[in-house]
Amino acid sequence: MRGKDVRLDQVSIRFGDAVAVQPLNLTIEAGEFFSILGPSGCGKTTILRTVSGFIEPTIGRVLIGGEDMAGKGPNERPTALIFQNLALFPLMSVAENVAFGLEARGVAKAERLKRAQELLELVALGGYGDKKPSDLSGGQRQRVAIARALAVEPSVLLLDEPLSALDLKLRQHMRAELRAIQKRVGITFIYITHDQGEALAMSDRVAVMSRGQLEQVAAPDTLYAEPATPFVATFVGEQNVIRGTLRRISNGMASVDTPLGPVEGREVGTPAIGAPVLVMVRPERMTLGDGRDNRIPATLKARHLEGPSVNLECTAAGQTLTVTLANGPAVRELPDDLVLGFGRDDARVYAEGALANG
Amino acid sequence: MASLFRAYGRGLGALLILIATLWILALILVPLGAMIEQSLWWKDSKGDITLQIDRLYNDMATLQLDASGESDAAKKAGLEAQIAQKQAEATALEAQETNPPKTYGLANFTRMSGLHFYIFIRTIIYALMVTALALVVCYPMAYAVALASGPRKAIVLTVALIVPYAINELLRVYAWLMILDYRGVINGILGWLGMVDLDNRGWIPFLENPSAVFLAMIYTYVLFMVFPMVNTLETLDRNQIEAARDLGASSFRIHRRVIIPHAKPGIAVGCIMTFMLSAGSYSVPAIMTRGQGGDWFSQLVYRQFFESNNWNMGSAYAVSLLVVCTAFILIMMRLFGVGLRDIAK
Ligand SMILES: Nc1ncnc2c1ncn2[C@@H]1O[C@H](COP(=O)(O)OP(=O)(O)OP(=O)(O)O)[C@@H](O)[C@H]1O
Ligand SMILES: [Mg+2]
Repeated sequence: MRGKDVRLDQVSIRFGDAVAVQPLNLTIEAGEFFSILGPSGCGKTTILRTVSGFIEPTIGRVLIGGEDMAGKGPNERPTALIFQNLALFPLMSVAENVAFGLEARGVAKAERLKRAQELLELVALGGYGDKKPSDLSGGQRQRVAIARALAVEPSVLLLDEPLSALDLKLRQHMRAELRAIQKRVGITFIYITHDQGEALAMSDRVAVMSRGQLEQVAAPDTLYAEPATPFVATFVGEQNVIRGTLRRISNGMASVDTPLGPVEGREVGTPAIGAPVLVMVRPERMTLGDGRDNRIPATLKARHLEGPSVNLECTAAGQTLTVTLANGPAVRELPDDLVLGFGRDDARVYAEGALANG
Repeated sequence: MASLFRAYGRGLGALLILIATLWILALILVPLGAMIEQSLWWKDSKGDITLQIDRLYNDMATLQLDASGESDAAKKAGLEAQIAQKQAEATALEAQETNPPKTYGLANFTRMSGLHFYIFIRTIIYALMVTALALVVCYPMAYAVALASGPRKAIVLTVALIVPYAINELLRVYAWLMILDYRGVINGILGWLGMVDLDNRGWIPFLENPSAVFLAMIYTYVLFMVFPMVNTLETLDRNQIEAARDLGASSFRIHRRVIIPHAKPGIAVGCIMTFMLSAGSYSVPAIMTRGQGGDWFSQLVYRQFFESNNWNMGSAYAVSLLVVCTAFILIMMRLFGVGLRDIAK
């Protein structure tokens, strides 16, 4: 099996008058584990169905391995789709499920059952061929769906939130499993999820979408450390958001007047002087005490113990700020009045824009 | 039963059980039992019974004469005792004549004539053909209705199927009669086109062909085939169809491997209903053939009851049909691997 690259070239998808996907360009490399992350209804499934051939783009082209897919149905594309609800065939045995794609290709029975057995072993379900899907656990069904999709030797495997039905433990286990399978078979994975943890943990690169638009495409580390838009900044991980007005920019550093006092941070995307801006600081980048570039006096409201870390919920000028600190003797007894500090490089200053949570 | 009491309380639970029992008695056991009982006996009306009675009365008249001429009191009493005995015999025979004794046995079943048996078999074959044709016609229709995207399409199709059913069954059959008759709509159009010569009775005799009955029956019973199928097809997860397509399956394979297996219980129920209705249909063959196209078995049953006035024979015929229908149900269930539980769904 060899992965192929997938290119969306100015693709836009409309349902009647409603625009589900705004024109976008996206290139997914061959053999990449690529995730599309976004809130419910942002158009993730629509994009996946367009790649797999169930939807023709209203405008634009889909290219797989450099070949234009226009006019090719789902059964003619080198893709395999794993559905949100898996869509295993309940009346067929597990082995028949896995062999179905080969059956459709006219492979002789003995040959396809042998192949199905190999694939079941690949997903560690060697002894389950004769069972019905309903006899399996959620995670096992998951793996049957993967084996069934891999049986047709696709160049691109499309996964639509395949782990969303599983409980947390199993989900974490399946993440590692999926990633391992991808490494083993070496084909392109396009993985859809609205769970940022999943996307960050598994992917080579992640695309963040909002309302049918691409917000940012980047490696997980970049996405977390250098979100390109306020939406990405607040959708991926936690964020303290301080509203203010941009006073001046020098050397990429923005000085902002906020109700909490003047704050300095790294500017993103050159906001205009005098315009409303958003200062974003991750909770774990804040510290207690003086001596940092920025200093905000605040009142401690609550202390949430997370185990290895502690979240301090503070207020300053009526606004809630969260600080995450490593657990230890220093944070056990704290006065009510604190000083929060963070470096210039820990804060990012964006022009006003849509946030992920309302 | 205990759970029923727990769910509804003692009073209501008992009431529900009572109603269910009455229901089963009134609608199933009593009529069926009466029919089966009726089919298992017949009355022997011996032809010579009247003769015997006549002879007894003759004897009595002679004895009477002897008795009236007899002077010896002892002899007279003897004669009168003889008369009384003969009278008793005659009365008994008379009672037998008006109400002959029942004989139980299977003769009603074995006595079916060759012609009737032939019609019986032919009716079952016809009903099987109607069922098969209805299945072929209805499956695509049910599929289209069940998987129609958007509620509007489903509504339109449902209305198109149900509205004809608001019209009385007889009217619909008569409508087909008018269409297929010698001087009916089709022959009329063909005549107008100059393809048949109506004036010289050169019409096409559609109604003399069993397929006219088939046509009207399929039309009449379409709904019973379509609805069970629509019901099961609607529960099919469309992702399964898409998954099969995504895996490269042709439409034919998707139907054969995914959709039809899922629809099996609905197909079984539809076939059972259509078979039972067409095997037992009286009005459709009666109207459509008008005696020209050969009887269906249901018409024979009707005649046994209301023309030959032999209810026992009629019952036997009806029970035979019932047995075949029951066998058909069991065979369908076995064939389609569905249990009663699936059908009840
Ligand atoms: N067949 C369709 N007809 C009309 N509108 C549709 C159709 N499919 C999707 N949409 C609309 O397009 C938008 C994007 O839907 P999509 O299913 O791609 O979202 P999603 O990101 O996969 O969401 P989720 O995480 O809930 O699965 C939604 O507003 C949805 O209502
Ligand atoms: Mg979706």
